[in-house]
Amino acid sequence: MAKRITHYLLPCFVGFLYLFLYLPIIVLILFSFNKNAFTYQWTGFTFEWYHQLLKSSEIWSALHNSLLVASISVIFSISMGAIFVFFGTKVRQLLLLFYGSLTIPEIVLAVGMLSFFVVTQVPLGITALIAGHTLLGLGYVIPIIYIRFNELDTELIEASLDLGATQIQTFFKIVLPWLMPALFAASLLVFIISFDDFVISFFCTSAASQTLPIYIFSMIRAGEMPIVSALSAVLLFVSSLLVLLFSALQIKRIGFGR
Amino acid sequence: MKKITAIKSAFIREVSLIFSVPAVLWQILFFYLPLFILIYTSFFQSYLIFFNIMFVRVIVRSLVLAGGSAALCLLLAYPVAYFLALKVERGKNILLFLLTLPFWTNFLIQIFAWFFLLDRNGIINILLKKINLITEPLYLLNNQFSIFLVMVYCYLPFMIMPLYSILNKMDIALLEASMDLGATRWQTFKRVTLPLSITGIKTGVLLVFVPAFGEFVIPALVGGSKYMLVGSLITYYFLVVRDSKLGAAFTVVSGLTLLGCVVLFDRCCQLVSGKRKAR
Repeated sequence: MAKRITHYLLPCFVGFLYLFLYLPIIVLILFSFNKNAFTYQWTGFTFEWYHQLLKSSEIWSALHNSLLVASISVIFSISMGAIFVFFGTKVRQLLLLFYGSLTIPEIVLAVGMLSFFVVTQVPLGITALIAGHTLLGLGYVIPIIYIRFNELDTELIEASLDLGATQIQTFFKIVLPWLMPALFAASLLVFIISFDDFVISFFCTSAASQTLPIYIFSMIRAGEMPIVSALSAVLLFVSSLLVLLFSALQIKRIGFGR
Repeated sequence: MKKITAIKSAFIREVSLIFSVPAVLWQILFFYLPLFILIYTSFFQSYLIFFNIMFVRVIVRSLVLAGGSAALCLLLAYPVAYFLALKVERGKNILLFLLTLPFWTNFLIQIFAWFFLLDRNGIINILLKKINLITEPLYLLNNQFSIFLVMVYCYLPFMIMPLYSILNKMDIALLEASMDLGATRWQTFKRVTLPLSITGIKTGVLLVFVPAFGEFVIPALVGGSKYMLVGSLITYYFLVVRDSKLGAAFTVVSGLTLLGCVVLFDRCCQLVSGKRKAR
C-alpha cells in the first residue's frame, strides 16, 4: 500500500507544478473576454477588448518598432555570427570573447550601453536598440552555430579547397547549407529574444520609439488591464504557434541548449 | 607553381580572418567598451559612500531573494525534470512543449497574469472568501511574498531545462546496476543520480540566480515601492535622479558582489563533486 502511494507521488507533484505554471495564464486568457473591466468577477462574454486592441494606433506602431528591431537584429547577428564561426574560430581564443554577455545580469549590460550611448552621443531609439539586441543575439548565435559547425567533417572543407574552390565558394556551397538548421533555430531564438526584451529596451529607447514590451509595461502601470489581457492572449497564441513550428522542424534539441 | 598556390592559399587563409572582424568589433564596441565606460565613470564617485547600511541592506536583500528563488526553483524543478527524463512514457513531447512555451512568451505577460490571482479582489481572495476561510481579503500583492512567488514562477523553466537535458542523457543501465546491487531507491538517487546531475544543477542555479539578482521588472510591477532591490536601485539612479556616477559605482559594487558569489558557488560545486570522486 505504501508503495502505491509513493508511486503516484511524483506524477501528482508534476501535475501540480504544471497547474502552477498554467493557472495564471489560463485565468488571464479567460478574463480577456470579460465584460466588466474593473472587477475580477465574471460578468459576461465580450470581444470588446480585442476590438479596442485592433483600433489602438499606439499598439500598431509599437508592434512595428518591435518587428523592425527584431528582424534587423536577426539579420545582423546571424550573418555576422555565421561568417565569424567559419573564418574566425581558427583562433580559438576569439570565441571566448562572446561568452561574456550571457554571464552578467542584463541590467548591468543595459546600464553600460546607456552610458556608452550618452558618451558617444548616439541618440537613444531604434538604432541603439538594434545595436543592443544584435549584441544579445550574438551571445546565443555564435555558440549554437559553432556546435553545428564542429559537427561538420573537416575533410569536406579540405576536399572542397583541394578541388580548387576558394574559401568564399566553400563557405557558400559547403558550410552554409550544413549550417542551415542551426541558422534557422538561432534566428528564431534571436527574434524572440529581441521581440520580448524589456531591460535593454527600457534603458536604450526613446519615448518616440516604444517597443511592444515597453508599451505593455506602461499599460500595466496605468492599469489598463483588459487591453493588456487581450494583447497577452494574442501574443501567447502567436508564440505557441512559433514553438510548434520550431519543434515540427525537429530542431528543438538546439533550442534546449541555452 | 605549386609553391605559389600554397603561399597564395596560406595568404588567403590569413586574410580571411578579416571576415571575423564585424562580429568581434561589434562585441568589443557594444559589450566591452560599455562595461569599461561604466567602470571608468564609477571612479568619479567615492566608493566610501557604500559603507552605509542602506546599500548593504539592498544588496543582501537581493542576494537572499535570488538565492531563495534559485533554491526553491531547484526543489520544484528537480522532480519535474526527473519525471520527464526518466519516468514518463506517453505524452512526453506535449509535456515538454508546455514547459518550453512560457520560455518563449513575454516575461511581462507572465508577471501580469498573476494580478488576476493575487489582487485584493482577485481570484484567490474570492475563493478563500467563498469557502469562509477568511472574512477580510488578504494583501497578496506589493510585498516580498509576491516578488518571491512571481520570481520563482518566471525562472522555473530556466531551472527545469538544464536539469532535464542532463538527466535525459543519463545512462539508465547505471541506475539499474545500482538497484541490482542492492541499493534502495533513495540510495541510488543519492549516490548515483544526484552526483551525476551536479553540472545540470550548477547551470540551472546560475541561470536563475544571476538574472534574479539584477531583476527589476518583477519588483517594479508586483512589489510595490517599499522594497528596494539592486535592480530597482540601479534603475532609480540612472533614470530617476540621473546620477550616473553613483549609479555606475553601485552597479560595479553589486556586480562584483554577484561575481564573488558565483565564484564561491562554483568552488563549492567543485568541492562537492571532488569529494565524491575521492571517495
